[in-house]
Amino acid sequence: MTGWWIIGSFGEASFFAACFLIGVLCLSISITSLQVGSGFWLLVWVSSALIILGAIGFWYRVLKVVTSDEHREAISHSGLIPGPTAKSKYVPPPMIPLLEPFTDSPGAKLAFRLPCPSQDTLALIGIGGFAMSWNAMLAIFFVVAIRSLFEGNIQYRLILLLIPGIYIGWRSGRLFFMSYVQALGIGSTTVEIEDLPLIPGKSYRVLLVQYGKLVIKKLTMRLVCEEESTYHYGTDIRTERSVVREQSVIVQGRSRIDWGRPLEMEGIVSIPNDAMHSFQSLHNAIHWKLIVEGEANRWPSYSRSFPVVVYPRAASKPASAD
Amino acid sequence: MISLLGLQPAYMPNDELEFDYSVSNIDQSSITAVEVSVLWLTEGKGTEDMGVHFFQRLSGNSLNSIQWNQPQRVHVPLPESPLSYEGTIVKISWCIRVRFYFADGTELVSQEPFYLGTVTKAL
Repeated sequence: MTGWWIIGSFGEASFFAACFLIGVLCLSISITSLQVGSGFWLLVWVSSALIILGAIGFWYRVLKVVTSDEHREAISHSGLIPGPTAKSKYVPPPMIPLLEPFTDSPGAKLAFRLPCPSQDTLALIGIGGFAMSWNAMLAIFFVVAIRSLFEGNIQYRLILLLIPGIYIGWRSGRLFFMSYVQALGIGSTTVEIEDLPLIPGKSYRVLLVQYGKLVIKKLTMRLVCEEESTYHYGTDIRTERSVVREQSVIVQGRSRIDWGRPLEMEGIVSIPNDAMHSFQSLHNAIHWKLIVEGEANRWPSYSRSFPVVVYPRAASKPASAD
Repeated sequence: MISLLGLQPAYMPNDELEFDYSVSNIDQSSITAVEVSVLWLTEGKGTEDMGVHFFQRLSGNSLNSIQWNQPQRVHVPLPESPLSYEGTIVKISWCIRVRFYFADGTELVSQEPFYLGTVTKAL
């Protein structure tokens, strides 16, 4: 692909968004103005096709930006709906998070690609879904208002309602596209690890890959052990976290990243001999995670967290993870 | 009075926990049930969680054949986790707990802590 990737991707997403809106407008015109006949059904069919094409194309472009190529490839091989798992005699150590969610995605260079439970993608999809639905609804009311204008039967109340509606639609659309451009620019971060689960006293290779098109001022990766407690305070439920161990794994200074040429860095994660294993009960937990933090020119700072599982030293490893 | 004997201060994961318990200065015919458990507890800022690793309850006719003033031996293979831990806001402790229930509705409880593993502190 040549040219500036951001403009290309943004243009494609805008094109599909326009298809969707044109489809909604045509459908609302045909339903409100035309008599039922062969032409009516043809217009309904074409409008529906435009809506479907626009919606699928739009979300495909957006999701292509927020997940990396390799990640989508891994999902396409394993499928969105996991198949039936073979029953194994292996019983994982008690009160330690299950290993399967961490080992079901193979890495490109190292054994496993770590999952990144990010709220950013969900927020982007939520804002986009709202903006799309709101503007589609607004388009229908807009057609009804214009039609009444041409017929000489002006619906003032509808026009008055449209004014705040247009404002909300504009603000939600703007918020979505700003988040989208930010996701486009910073790109995704992937972390691969040599082996899982991690055992105290051992060291493991990790690979950090940062995609996007940006100039990084500083990129770091830390191994963190964090305690988490949930408790009732009056009628509230509160959660408190405390970092009890911290280890610098990778520190990278100023570097330029381009589309198709991601920044790749390797590091070593060493789990101390006396480290506590991962633990999860109803109200208390001990989490181990790799935290990637980046500062980039013209983009806001970002932080992405990749949980890992630490077993006690004596615990047996599952056969599938060997 | 409940006596817990033979308990070591620390065990490694997968070790076998072996201890004796007995009760003295009570009317043995008044015992209605006895419970022995090996469990872990969380302490600290969060709401307390508990996990029972081993639980044994004796009641009814099975009580009659036992001399409760003589040591009763219990063998429990310990699990791999969770290990004992003293963190900043999360603490995990292991203990054995013996509970005697009596006909008048009262109960007698004794509890003895032990460490599982060698990890004891956050830092």
